[in-house]
Amino acid sequence: MSLQTDKRDFSERTSEGLGDNFMRSAVSSAQDSLKTRRLSAATDLGDWEQWRSIGQQIRQHTLKNLDYYLEQLADNVEKKGGYVYFAKTKEEASSYIRDIVMQKKAKKIVKSKSMVTEEIEMNRVLMDAGCELIETDLGEYILQIDDWDPPSHIVAPALHKDRSQIQRVFTEKLGYTGDESPENLARHARTVLRQKFLEADVGITGCNFAIANMGAINLVTNEGNGDLTASIPKTHIAVMGMERIVPTLEEMEILDNLLCRSAVGQKLTSYITVMGPSATGETDGPEEFHLVVVDNGRSEILGSEFNEALQCIRCGACLNVCPVYRHIGGHAYGSIYPGPIGAVITPLLGGYGDYKELPFASSLCAACTDVCPVKIPLHEQLILHRQRIVEEKRTSSSERIQMKTAGRLLSSQTLFGKALRFANPASRLLSRHGRIIKGPGLVRGWINARDLSQPVKQQDSFRTWLDRRKGGANQ
Amino acid sequence: MTVYGKESFLNTIAAKLGRERVYDVQRPDLRPLIPNSYGSLTNDDLIEILKEQCYFIHTQLIESNSEILQTTLNDLIHANGGGAVITSGDDRFLHYGLSFPNSFVWEEAAGREENLLRSEAANTAIVFADYALAESGTIVIESRPDQGRSLHFLPTNYIAIIEKERLVLRSTQAAADLNRRVEAGEPVGSAINFISGPSNSADIEMQLVVGVHGPLRATYVLI
Repeated sequence: MSLQTDKRDFSERTSEGLGDNFMRSAVSSAQDSLKTRRLSAATDLGDWEQWRSIGQQIRQHTLKNLDYYLEQLADNVEKKGGYVYFAKTKEEASSYIRDIVMQKKAKKIVKSKSMVTEEIEMNRVLMDAGCELIETDLGEYILQIDDWDPPSHIVAPALHKDRSQIQRVFTEKLGYTGDESPENLARHARTVLRQKFLEADVGITGCNFAIANMGAINLVTNEGNGDLTASIPKTHIAVMGMERIVPTLEEMEILDNLLCRSAVGQKLTSYITVMGPSATGETDGPEEFHLVVVDNGRSEILGSEFNEALQCIRCGACLNVCPVYRHIGGHAYGSIYPGPIGAVITPLLGGYGDYKELPFASSLCAACTDVCPVKIPLHEQLILHRQRIVEEKRTSSSERIQMKTAGRLLSSQTLFGKALRFANPASRLLSRHGRIIKGPGLVRGWINARDLSQPVKQQDSFRTWLDRRKGGANQ
Repeated sequence: MTVYGKESFLNTIAAKLGRERVYDVQRPDLRPLIPNSYGSLTNDDLIEILKEQCYFIHTQLIESNSEILQTTLNDLIHANGGGAVITSGDDRFLHYGLSFPNSFVWEEAAGREENLLRSEAANTAIVFADYALAESGTIVIESRPDQGRSLHFLPTNYIAIIEKERLVLRSTQAAADLNRRVEAGEPVGSAINFISGPSNSADIEMQLVVGVHGPLRATYVLI
């Protein structure tokens, strides 16, 4: 999979989402439960706003000194006997990983959930090289055996599937004979995957945060698959977006608290692990540890007006409160990063060419900005994207003409006055029962989902009424 | 060469930040900013907080003491359905005079394959916590030659013994202490685990399943 998960038009993708009733009800109940759990976990911590400010400060300080901390990290990984590869592009990153795997003559790879490995299309590269690659996170595993169905949520990737769909896939692909209870399905996956862990030559994980002064990475999980991936195989390759780093364990601890509470409403998830190359005398853990630090467009964001987007800790809280995500679902974004943060970073990583609609997939209600544990001004960044898209003339020509006409009309008192006077007679043919029922592009987009009242007659307008009142008061 | 492509990568970053590379940075002291919503707490208060949290994380908490610890553990092993036991090589097993039939110890001499096989075959793992965090119901434990990483994940049942004096309020205290050791150059295990209960997943219809890849059950024994 790559950043892009669906090449169809945005409108086609959203119509599909809107028509998928199961998905919509799954997303709305997941949102409701995650929202409630996040809120109670945030309240429990006490003074959540202060914690958010601290989170923001940590992220901003680290980004401001990113070269320093990455260098410290690399030095410390090296001191512990590990390897560090700085990859400017996704191609560099995935071919380095392929080379390591080839060098090890590895055939069997286990992987724990990582968004950045999707971004660099690592799975495809490794499978093309003839490796068996197994996603071990339960949600990701379900998607993999269902012919690599794309994820629809950054924390709960298989959110769009129900238990009977999963049971069917397990039956077809794994010879599963049990019922559709999540517990039995999970037990079956445990049995199948346990064997995969024990046989694997290489384990590949993402990285929630790298810890600069330790030369280690931090993984935050609930299932324990990340730990098995980094404990059993003799080689561990960890892949990180270059901005996912903290100075020390103290900052990690604060961000992990914000992450767990914001993502799933837990105080801490079941497994939070700090890990690096195996130390002398330790008999498991990787004999060889590789850390791949990925730029892939991030340095273009650094120092730009979108800099704050790099503060993201991938908790998914913004997805869980977004009214647009609620209705169109994750797949409609056409990116491995959906929801508000996806609408901000996908166009930055993938360009406006394929993703210019995403910043408009927002009601600008700012619920995302409110919940962000590291205070990314998400809705402001969406507005900024919209400005750039309009400035670069990437909107359709008919929309530009309509906007220009509206602009001219609204900036001239005479024209505006005339428009008000003629609005009612002019809209008569387009209206029925006081509602506009047809019209050009922008109007049509609006009335597809909402009512638009027909403008009132001049003599019934508020202005006329007010003028009459004024007259009355003066008398 | 063990580090590739660093200089030009980091130079790009510095250029994007509109400055020269930096080589000396002081991280801000965040401690004065951290809210203290609990006030001062006694060890008994911490135990109460831990007990309550264990309920939420599907973890059984048993209060025992050094005299009856062996019996408590025997009962738990029995309740797990018996089978093989694997322990870490922690000195405290000796200190408390603990021993178990049909048991193995994770040891350097056994080597990788053997330690993994023993853990996979074990029905119950028993370890001693380095720290315990009351608020989140977490035990903190480091990898060592006599305590591998997989020990916490391969066995079906997991028992962690917590000595009361190792109980602190939350992750803040454990992280500060561990970082102090890192900064002082003291050796720290290549893996530090913060474990809060058994493995679990909500990937199918957001319904919680306890016991996925790691242990199916977790028990803390407080002494």
